[in-house]
Amino acid sequence: MSGASPGEAASASEAEPTAASKSSDPPPPPLLEPSTRGRFAVTVALFASVLTLLVTTCSGLGYARDEGFYFEAARAYGKWFELFVSDRATALQRPATDAAFGVNHEHPALIKSLFALSNLGLERKWHVFDEPGTSFRFPAMVLAALLIASVYRWGERRFGRAAGLVGALSLLFAPRFFYHAHLACFDVPIAAMFFFTVLAYSRAVSTEGSYWPLVTGLLFGLSLDTKHNSWFLPFVVLTHLVVLGTNAWLRRERVWPSIHRSAMTLVSMALVGPIVVFVLWPWLWHDTLTRVADYARFHLQHEYYNMELFGRTYWEPPMPRSYAWVMTLATVPIVTLVAGAIGAARSLFTAAKQTRAREPLEHGGEPLLWGIAVLVCYAPWLRDSTPIFGGTKHWMTAYPFLALFVASGFEASILATRKLVAALRNGWFAYVVALVVLAPSVRESLHAHPWGLGAYTPLVGGTPGAASLGLNRSFWGYNTGAVVDYLNREVPEGGRVYIHDTAWPSWEMLQEDGRLRPDIRAVSAVSSADFALYHHEQHMQGEEYQAWVAFGTVRPDLVRGLDGVPTISVYRRSSAGTR
Amino acid sequence: MKRLGRLPLVALAAALPVVAMFELVATFVVPAPEAAMYEPLESVVAPIYQPGDLVVMSPRWAEPNARAVLGDHVMRLEDLARSDARRYPRAIEISLDGARSSELAAFHEKAAREVGPFTVRELENPSPERVLYDFLDHVDPEDLSVSGSEPSERCRFTTHGEVLSGGLGGNPTFPRRRFQCSGGAFFGVGVTVIADEDFLPRRCIFAHPTEHGARVLRFEHVPLGERIVGHLGMYTIIERVRGAPIELEVSVDGERLATIRHEDGEGWKRFDVPLGAHGGASSATVELGVRSPDYVDRHFCFEATVR
Repeated sequence: MSGASPGEAASASEAEPTAASKSSDPPPPPLLEPSTRGRFAVTVALFASVLTLLVTTCSGLGYARDEGFYFEAARAYGKWFELFVSDRATALQRPATDAAFGVNHEHPALIKSLFALSNLGLERKWHVFDEPGTSFRFPAMVLAALLIASVYRWGERRFGRAAGLVGALSLLFAPRFFYHAHLACFDVPIAAMFFFTVLAYSRAVSTEGSYWPLVTGLLFGLSLDTKHNSWFLPFVVLTHLVVLGTNAWLRRERVWPSIHRSAMTLVSMALVGPIVVFVLWPWLWHDTLTRVADYARFHLQHEYYNMELFGRTYWEPPMPRSYAWVMTLATVPIVTLVAGAIGAARSLFTAAKQTRAREPLEHGGEPLLWGIAVLVCYAPWLRDSTPIFGGTKHWMTAYPFLALFVASGFEASILATRKLVAALRNGWFAYVVALVVLAPSVRESLHAHPWGLGAYTPLVGGTPGAASLGLNRSFWGYNTGAVVDYLNREVPEGGRVYIHDTAWPSWEMLQEDGRLRPDIRAVSAVSSADFALYHHEQHMQGEEYQAWVAFGTVRPDLVRGLDGVPTISVYRRSSAGTR
Repeated sequence: MKRLGRLPLVALAAALPVVAMFELVATFVVPAPEAAMYEPLESVVAPIYQPGDLVVMSPRWAEPNARAVLGDHVMRLEDLARSDARRYPRAIEISLDGARSSELAAFHEKAAREVGPFTVRELENPSPERVLYDFLDHVDPEDLSVSGSEPSERCRFTTHGEVLSGGLGGNPTFPRRRFQCSGGAFFGVGVTVIADEDFLPRRCIFAHPTEHGARVLRFEHVPLGERIVGHLGMYTIIERVRGAPIELEVSVDGERLATIRHEDGEGWKRFDVPLGAHGGASSATVELGVRSPDYVDRHFCFEATVR
């Protein structure tokens, strides 16, 4: 997907495309002068480094609620894969497919299939990981690493190596993205698949032949089989088609030659996409139309869960239309937002200038495509009926495109510096600035780990400031992973723990991993527990009060969280005994 | 643009490094004290604490850290789950980073001292409301009898009731000490804590209405002041379910003084019943009747005081 054609290599060396470099001065050197081999080596090194970082930091992270459900689904899928190998005819029968793929059928099968295959191969066969949970998480981490590498490649192709690195690593070290990149969930995988599809589409627009339109259709199918955010991909392509057509019309050129590649790709997506999702999601093999309708209905009429914004918990429409923007401002590092804003403004300025001059859009309208992708990903939250319970993860598909604008903004900054100070024209200066620009994001992400959902930037005063503002500091009950040391030490043999928002399979995975003593029993009511976990979330506070009354104390035995902000408390019954 | 000269270029060149440096420094500055840094508070707050004081942590999100250090003696459940602060003559406010409790705005500062990042203030209420009788303190068989009207029944008091907690969408914890009526644990009457519409804790008497007639709580030997003041409602998650209204009938020595109606959406609703001619009596019988036209999902809870 990221292989470079000779034409691209040429464009890479033209790494500064816009106004900033147009002067009578001799052109400054590009931010790097990459060879094809060097470019490939950096991409691979980046992929490997990111994957290594994610794998080595995941064992401190407890299991999110949804991961537990996907573990169950993946285990069911795994049994089906084993049956498929041993008895293909039986496996393809409806009872077998329904039994396996009926589990968690409200989400498509691709990523859960990868979780299952990873667990079967890397864990059960080859014992690659210390903890079984990591084997389920691994495919999502691979996709995260591929996404970072792909963002780098696209950014590097347009803005040079240093800028590409800044864009890609700004994405990785956006604290919420960094958290989600560890999980056996679909949010980072769909961000990756969404990006890959748009990337393939951009290639389809800028090349000839049927190869890239077909690849785009294939990737769209894989996206459809990943998560329902993929439903917005046709809107991205369609809007881009309209932009290209409008630009041609304004230039008084024939419209069709400008849009026929987009149209062809749209047709490919419409034809190939559904076939791919049908083939790879056995749940759809029977009662297809009914099940597709059920799937669509589930998400279009999704129930509302609770989410806090500015001290108020929203649980039914109207939802606050400002939610997505506020949370983006509060959780994406400030320098990333500023660089992204510079990059986006630069693209808009260039597009406006080219339109006025009746010139074709730069790079076939690629920066506008990124902008369209960002806006389409945020668009659902312009409606006050769109649920907001997922925090930032639901529009995280926009972040890779924001990262490309970050690369653009970074390049603009470097070019401006070089125009001012000729002595800074050597390539290494850009890397020094890159380190400075990336430092806050790296610091915020690593500091927040493993409390990623509680991470807020200094714009709102960090996590304490966000708590004072009444912004949500946790959901999904994953923080249990941060108190296993206490539970292992304090809970008596066979002791009972109320696990609150942690899903049962998520709790069981901690035990299967060996992180949590196997004799500790989970219970579903605080009144029958010796110890009670409480994951701090505004709408769940009633459960903390239930613990007060049941245990006869308001004194938590343990409080932990990020930067002094309580995120998980543990209550202990006075008669619980000790280990 | 020309008039600005090189300024745009300088701004563009400097923006990212400057913002990055500012943000990096800020990430080291913003953190609040970790839980362990609350420990010195114990040696400061415990000596100045007097029984009956209200201890408040500001901002409220930091309260678990304070509770972990100060414990149940200083941060009592009764005070944490209060319905209002007007009754308290004194308060101790532990303030972090300048945060103040609006609930204590009318209190006067008597003393203050810095303890690490905290300010500990001793505050005095210039006009505390004197509470003559708190019904929550008298949910025991010496002072209270609980009955149902249709069918007629007298509920028995137990100190060994099964403690039950309902989780996110369920009942508040049913306490061990309660009056148990027919129909199961939901039809017990005892003191618990619910979360109100702002998810604040409210200590109250749980008294689920009956299918027919009324649940009647009869308090004997109640000293009367000028009025009965209280709040009523239910756990906010349950209130979302939307059900029938609930009524609390207040009678003194057989005379019905008020019927307070609670509709879903009203949250933790305050009521104030003047005692009229009964005011000032040294001992009276106060009957509180709970009824609803449809008792399903009516996890009713109330608190009341004589003032």
